[in-house]
Amino acid sequence: MIKRMYCCCAIVLLLLSVNRAEAHPHVWVTFHSELLYAVDGTITGVRHAWTFDDMFSAYALQGTSHAKKGQYTREELASLAQTNVDSLKEYDYFTYARADGKKLKFAEPVDYWLEYKNPSLILHFTLPLKVPAAPRAMQIEVYDPSIFVDFEFAKDKPVSLSGAPPQCLATYDLPHQPTAAEQAQLNQLDAVPLDPSSTYGEIFANKILVRCP
Amino acid sequence: MTRSRAISVTAVVAVLVAFATGIVSAWSAPFGAPHPAAAMSVSGLTGWIFAEQAAFYRSLSGFIRASKEDGAAMWELFGISFVYGVFHAAGPGHGKAVISSYLVANEETWRRGIALSFVSAAIQSVVAIVVVAIAAVLLGATAKTIGLTVHLVEIISYALVILIGLRLLYVKGRSFLVACRELTWRQTPELAFAAAHAAKPLSAATLQSSGQRPGAMAMRAGQCQVDGCTAHVHGFHCHDDHESAWGHAHGPEPTMLAGAGGWRRGLAAVVAVGLRPCSGAIIVLIFALAQDLFWTGVGATLIMGLGTAATVAAIATVAVSARGLASRIARTRAALGMLAMRAIEVGAAALIVGFGALLLAGYVASEQLWMFTG
Repeated sequence: MIKRMYCCCAIVLLLLSVNRAEAHPHVWVTFHSELLYAVDGTITGVRHAWTFDDMFSAYALQGTSHAKKGQYTREELASLAQTNVDSLKEYDYFTYARADGKKLKFAEPVDYWLEYKNPSLILHFTLPLKVPAAPRAMQIEVYDPSIFVDFEFAKDKPVSLSGAPPQCLATYDLPHQPTAAEQAQLNQLDAVPLDPSSTYGEIFANKILVRCP
Repeated sequence: MTRSRAISVTAVVAVLVAFATGIVSAWSAPFGAPHPAAAMSVSGLTGWIFAEQAAFYRSLSGFIRASKEDGAAMWELFGISFVYGVFHAAGPGHGKAVISSYLVANEETWRRGIALSFVSAAIQSVVAIVVVAIAAVLLGATAKTIGLTVHLVEIISYALVILIGLRLLYVKGRSFLVACRELTWRQTPELAFAAAHAAKPLSAATLQSSGQRPGAMAMRAGQCQVDGCTAHVHGFHCHDDHESAWGHAHGPEPTMLAGAGGWRRGLAAVVAVGLRPCSGAIIVLIFALAQDLFWTGVGATLIMGLGTAATVAAIATVAVSARGLASRIARTRAALGMLAMRAIEVGAAALIVGFGALLLAGYVASEQLWMFTG
């Protein structure tokens, strides 16, 4: 009787486990980010340059009319760039900012365009902060909680500051290689949406830190 | 219960409980404190699968490029595609859960489980190829259009899954209620005594003795006798409305597999599941197309499907065996055991509806091709 009950429960749980959403990336992005400063030393926004992997680039370019085979001009890619930033809105541009620990909001992106460097598409866009901030510690994270998109800092100079006061110093933390347990927890995130106040996903975020003492 | 059976039951239960522990800890993690120690054994495997499939997927583009110059690279590509398919089937959207639940709810055989897994994976590959062939090759559609098409097909697929689940839930829910009622009669001593003798006169007697029995019951009893269940002593066990009488150890009759209600019914489920193309396959196909290697992409996609089928079939076999085991145990408990089996079926049917609803609501699968492309 008890064994039978175990078995029944186990079957149900097995089926649940089978269905556990285990997303894995289908899009890889290597990125450069530049923090933009106003003359008065406040941070006004972030300028991103995201390079997509070759397979996703080919997918995104599908059906885009272009004059020369293997070449795409900025104009030919304009409508795709528009689509990109429109679609990214729903995902908060995968960019999360905190000023001295307080969450900041971004406005709609500006100055966006796509560039094609065979075999990759590069999406350039600037995310202005709704309200410019002048914190001691600014933290910007770039990640996709559902891990459909894998974000990675570019190899050379991934983070830069534009017009920052001289005492400001930018550092960045690579997301550590997730341990197996963390990976498993991460895999749950699209099955069990995160509490809005949760900071769990940050373990895996690409963190940019700017300190202005 | 023999000793060896007891051991095998214990082993299976241990494996399943281990699974369950992993699930419980993993599910609770986002809300509570993580429990790395508890989740370690299972998530180690999950993490490994995750890392492997990502690595294989990324290597695909290199092999596709290479196969342009080098014919031998194509065979490597096909090999990698197969392995990727095997790993990727552990991911979302491949309908393992729906197929497994379906097999459990419908008391299907493992042979049919494997066949259905392969058919569903084949449909999935073919849908991806057809979508890309029509939209990209013939119409020159944009990624946005293709993404929307895939999304639409997905919605249809999920809606069909819900419909199939609801139908099963209705059928199985009725059987469950019937089993409930039978349990109540069975407990009257007079009938319990009669059951030990012969089923045929008994079922007739039972039906006559209870004037309030609905007509449907009489029909089922009739079916049971035709099915030959009366040859066995447990007459009450064969009242169900589908062909295989539960708890009998013999394999499927060929007629059972070929029967109109059999394959057709199973096909409806796998078509619903298989309709949804895998976004990885779509991307690979379009990438191959951009390299003027569409047919290489088609080959890779079909082989990926083969790999997916292997995993899904393995999982389906486990589900079917677990059910078989449960029903063998249940058989030793006569009516109560049967009630438990009916409850499992109802549960599995409810799970199908649940999965369908979750998928439709977008909570489970997150392979969103439209993340960047609208």
